[in-house]
Amino acid sequence: MLRRVSPHLLLRSLAAALAIGGVGVWLATGAHRGWTRTSEVEMRRDEITGIDYPVRRDKFTAGIEFPFAALGGAALLAIGAAMLRPRERSSGPAGTP
Amino acid sequence: MKNQLRQLLALSVLAGTAFAAPLSFDFKDPKGVNNVQFKLDAPLESITGTGTGISGQVSFDPAKPGATTGRIELAAKSLTVGNPMMGEHLQGGQWLDTAKHPVIAFELVSLANVRTQGGVTTADATGKLSLKGVTKEIKVPVSFTHLPDKLGARVNDPKVKGDLLVIRANFEVNRSDYGINAGKNTDKVAENIQLSLSIAGSAPKA
Repeated sequence: MLRRVSPHLLLRSLAAALAIGGVGVWLATGAHRGWTRTSEVEMRRDEITGIDYPVRRDKFTAGIEFPFAALGGAALLAIGAAMLRPRERSSGPAGTP
Repeated sequence: MKNQLRQLLALSVLAGTAFAAPLSFDFKDPKGVNNVQFKLDAPLESITGTGTGISGQVSFDPAKPGATTGRIELAAKSLTVGNPMMGEHLQGGQWLDTAKHPVIAFELVSLANVRTQGGVTTADATGKLSLKGVTKEIKVPVSFTHLPDKLGARVNDPKVKGDLLVIRANFEVNRSDYGINAGKNTDKVAENIQLSLSIAGSAPKA
């Protein structure tokens, strides 16, 4: 039988996964400090005319907004997790039943 | 008799050169080499892009390059940048509004300070730039490189005879002059648009 995962643990795990995933994707695609790109330009030279011309090809490069959005989302999830955290039962004052 | 024939031949060549009609170069480029590159400075990184939808005609006489006339057009929808959202903004109503203004055009009016060295002519071109429905006269430093009998090599068919003309120009325009998000977002995107044009046209010979 599966153990039921508490909501605050689930949110904490999601927050960690989002933060690690977002920063990881950004690092893996070259830690580009500009905006996200879905294509890049490679310059080539036409031998006859000597013209340098761009050849655009599809390539995903995560921009700086990627880790920021991931960390922001993770922070929100972590706050949600903290709010859902079950409060510890406090023992009553001495002498009460 | 032989000398007379030679003289006649020389005379006809001279006459041919003197009265040679200007060549009409077509700038529609099936190879996709012709391009314009643009750059706008911005705080995080410069916004750079390219456009390849170039067409037009230029009449160029290698003997009289100062008499060059012509018109070059760029399909505004061919302008692309690396970021798709930025590309949508670029094509949208606030920026280029390509749905209403699909063509960016430069019409050459005159050339000044014409200098030719080898096959390269440099000059200051005065022309009318039409962008987003606004037409303004601007001055652009330009170079023309005439490549005689190079068309066959370019199309990989030696049977095809003709010349090529390469035009290069680097210049700037102010986006406010053309109503491109005029006076807005100047803290995010520079007013000046830096443009770099490199195009080749062909003039086939019969």
